[in-house]
Amino acid sequence: MDKVNKDKEKIITLAIESSCDETSAAVLVGGRTVLSNIIATQIPIHRKFGGVVPEIASRKHIVNVMPVIDEALEKASVTLKDIDQVAVTYGPGLVGALLVGVSAAKSLAFTLGVPLIGVNHLEGHIFANFLSAPELKPPFMALVVSGGHTSLVHVKDYNSFSLMGQTRDDAAGEAFDKVARVMGLPYPGGPQIDKLAQEGDPMAIDFPKALQEKGNYEFSFSGLKSAVLNYLNSMKLKGIEVNKADVAASFQHTVIEVLLAKALDAVKETGCDTLVLAGGVAANSSLEKRLREVTAKNNIKFYFPDKILCTDNAAMIGCRGYYQSLAGNYSDLYLNAVPGLALSDL
Amino acid sequence: MPILAMDTATMVSSVAVADNKKLLAELIVENKLTHSETLLPHVEQVLNMAGTQKEAIEAVAVSIGPGSFTGLRIGLAAAKAIAYGLNIPIIGIPTMEGLAWHYPVPGIRVAGFIDAQKGNVYTAHYKWNGSDFDEVKSIEVLPLDDAINICSEIDGPVVAVGDMVSKKMTRMDGLPENLIIPPKHTMMPRAANIAMAGLKKLGAGQVGSVMDMEPIYIRKSEAEVLWEKRQEKLKQEAK
Ligand SMILES: [Zn+2]
Repeated sequence: MDKVNKDKEKIITLAIESSCDETSAAVLVGGRTVLSNIIATQIPIHRKFGGVVPEIASRKHIVNVMPVIDEALEKASVTLKDIDQVAVTYGPGLVGALLVGVSAAKSLAFTLGVPLIGVNHLEGHIFANFLSAPELKPPFMALVVSGGHTSLVHVKDYNSFSLMGQTRDDAAGEAFDKVARVMGLPYPGGPQIDKLAQEGDPMAIDFPKALQEKGNYEFSFSGLKSAVLNYLNSMKLKGIEVNKADVAASFQHTVIEVLLAKALDAVKETGCDTLVLAGGVAANSSLEKRLREVTAKNNIKFYFPDKILCTDNAAMIGCRGYYQSLAGNYSDLYLNAVPGLALSDL
Repeated sequence: MPILAMDTATMVSSVAVADNKKLLAELIVENKLTHSETLLPHVEQVLNMAGTQKEAIEAVAVSIGPGSFTGLRIGLAAAKAIAYGLNIPIIGIPTMEGLAWHYPVPGIRVAGFIDAQKGNVYTAHYKWNGSDFDEVKSIEVLPLDDAINICSEIDGPVVAVGDMVSKKMTRMDGLPENLIIPPKHTMMPRAANIAMAGLKKLGAGQVGSVMDMEPIYIRKSEAEVLWEKRQEKLKQEAK
């Protein structure tokens, strides 16, 4: 374990991420210096199916996993001998996809004789903020908005979290994808809605907001999703042409206002002075813009990751893995994929 | 110089270390624990049992299918990363060719039957040529009955191997007279066989690359099959 006791700032982490439709590998020095972050995306492959096909994703991961690791090492100008630890996403995600990364990471850690760190993908998304903002330190409130998850997490310290609330049913990203699909927009739907919404009137249609009582930090987007689908259906039945931009803008506005209100309440209740946005939907420009405006008005510091760090990537996994290693939070060779892994108190 | 071998294509998870002279150690497990959890601990244990330092391994051989898609990827991802980490060659062995190594006997044919779900099997035939196996019927997916019938047309004894033999065929009546059903422990995958096949290939310089090796799936994913059907239908409608 000599390697672990060397200067923490010089620890070199190799990280692997394969939870959904991106195969990624990254090399970090210390917790925050990214030497390389290679991402092989499969989005064009899944587009014709209108969503990620798990078996196809897994087939791509097994082909891509070694080339991305090799490229990450080469781009970082390090060799395998330099690697001090291996971090890998073990959940949540698609089980067959996760298993490729987990199996490769375990084998590398074993052959190199270095520690293995299993990382929660959602914690990784939160930690992406540390890579974009070197000055950022806990405590802060994190709003995690991704394809499968919507949660508010009070990050009290690097290894101490408290889950304020999460989605009861559909995640915000799921609602985006579903609404986009029904409106005939190509996959992935989130960015398409965001783009279309720029030309629409966010006040045109009044969609319902769920769980509005104060102090409730849970989310629910299935009612909103149904309301949008019902609206589109009833207009179709009546033979009325809908203004798709208005629908996109009003839907997106409703989602954003719900996220915003709960995030602000959570910040105030916990006495934090900082809000960070995390997850795939963090790349939504309207969400980011609204949060920026409102946090500024309320004297709350606001962070969100660079666009590339909002997507699924291994650098954020490496960052999270680094801080876990400081707390001695390692995994053994029995590590398995946990597709339903959730955020929880730590 | 020893070779590390693994087979996770079916319910059996197996790891072995062997060199040209002998099988040094082997582990064969068929229980409920998932391959993903236990494969690496098994690799570590088998190397210990064999008294082999991992740095001494000369190559990694892995069963690459057809078989369980997820099982194959667990094994292949592990084999690739070990080969990459140790900078040694990787060798992919078709799962049924590995099974054939139960019977390196001239004059007989070994027929593989691996479960392909919904009453279908992956099937292929192998013949021992005195030093290695020749694939005499290439790998395809067939309804189980068809795969069995093919064997009845062959002159001489045919030994049936693979998980479908124990799952279904041992309880079937009217199997062809020339079809031999061996004891279960000599019809299921074992890594020693993958090691022996791997050593042959290594000697012949037939090694793969960790950068592009894929499992042998034979079958497309269901989503692709459905998509192609839909495209076909749209084409018909357009006409
Ligand atoms: Zn994600």
